[in-house]
Amino acid sequence: MTVLAKNSAKEHDNDLLVAVAAGNRRALEELYVSYHRRLARFLSRFTPRYENVEEIINDTFMVVWQRSKDFRYASQVSTWIIGIAYRTALKSLRRQKNHAGALRLDDYPEQTTDPTLETEVRDWLKHGLERLPIEQRLTLELAYHMGHSLEEIAAITECPVGTVKARMFHAREKLRQYLPTLGGSACALSMRDE
Amino acid sequence: MNYDHPSHAVREHQEISTLIPWYLNGSIAEHQRQRLDVHVSLCAECRDDLALERSVYLGMRAETAVEYMPAASLKLLQARLDGIDAAASVDLPAGLPAAQRPGRAAVPWHGVMAASVAVMAVALSLLAADRWLQARARTTRPDYYTVTTAVPRAPGEVIRAVFAPNITLVELQSLLDEAQLRIISGPTEAGVYSLAANSRRPVNSSLALLRGHAKVRFAESTQPSTGSGELP
Ligand SMILES: [Zn+2]
Repeated sequence: MTVLAKNSAKEHDNDLLVAVAAGNRRALEELYVSYHRRLARFLSRFTPRYENVEEIINDTFMVVWQRSKDFRYASQVSTWIIGIAYRTALKSLRRQKNHAGALRLDDYPEQTTDPTLETEVRDWLKHGLERLPIEQRLTLELAYHMGHSLEEIAAITECPVGTVKARMFHAREKLRQYLPTLGGSACALSMRDE
Repeated sequence: MNYDHPSHAVREHQEISTLIPWYLNGSIAEHQRQRLDVHVSLCAECRDDLALERSVYLGMRAETAVEYMPAASLKLLQARLDGIDAAASVDLPAGLPAAQRPGRAAVPWHGVMAASVAVMAVALSLLAADRWLQARARTTRPDYYTVTTAVPRAPGEVIRAVFAPNITLVELQSLLDEAQLRIISGPTEAGVYSLAANSRRPVNSSLALLRGHAKVRFAESTQPSTGSGELP
């Protein structure tokens, strides 16, 4: 997206949120449609069931509807909406933590039993990501999947920049424990990714 | 890398390392990007770190094949919002114009439940409206001739009305609130509703309000005293 397109998208989001704050349902629906794909793809990385994704998105937009009047336009509308989705997802994922197939929340992941060379990059990534504490994983996803800057992630997660840096640092450290080859070459990994 | 000033070099090395994720996703400032490029060209450790992290980044950036369509979940959201609107309209002081109604989140559920009589009224009228929505699907062209002639006047009925096919439940409820009317029966096969008064508001004034609404197709008074048919 060009800088110009980005700015006009921002302005459009602002206009829509002003209308939402005035009680305009159409504006809310437009905002919903424009964020749905982004949020669905992001959330589907944490929760495999579509109903959960749908529920988190709808809970998010209920909050958008109810709190739009309090938004002060000091930050970006996108950061605000993704921040609400982040907190809603965090709550929902914590609720699911004891259910089968849900994320592990322990701070210290087990060492992989057999990090064989045959493991596909995506497999070990998936394996590693599922074992990260949820805040660390979300930080990584916000940066790598969603492309957010350090400052944006701090705004979304309502954390100091230092906390985001620390979470990212620990996430990367832990993820590397799941590398198929210890100190393995990234080139080899990239090639196997084909 | 340059080890002339070890403590400075170590700090630079650490700082560069923390920048790597945002260097990869392209969100760091240009001067930071240049600083990282310079450091990486001199430091083998950061070069390896960057290459490894790039494979993680590329792996995570890969899109899932699943495509989500917003239409179905948007419907669920709309239903939730309709629920809130309907609840919010219950607890408002009589006579407040629809435009001034908060329409959302203003009334907590426990507050609504306290006004149980009003809740019952709305529940009943929504139920009737629901039946009307079903009937609407059957009768696309209501026969207005039957409005006054075929149907006997229900007890308490003051107005009969036909609404536009595209009126929503929320619009209907808000219009009835404003006109201080409630649905007592209907819809008929022709889509006609019997409405009773909720207050001492003059029937003619409620009637004028209905007729002024873009989504009311037909409205007539059935009060014996005022007669029936179109009023000016
Ligand atoms: Zn270095």
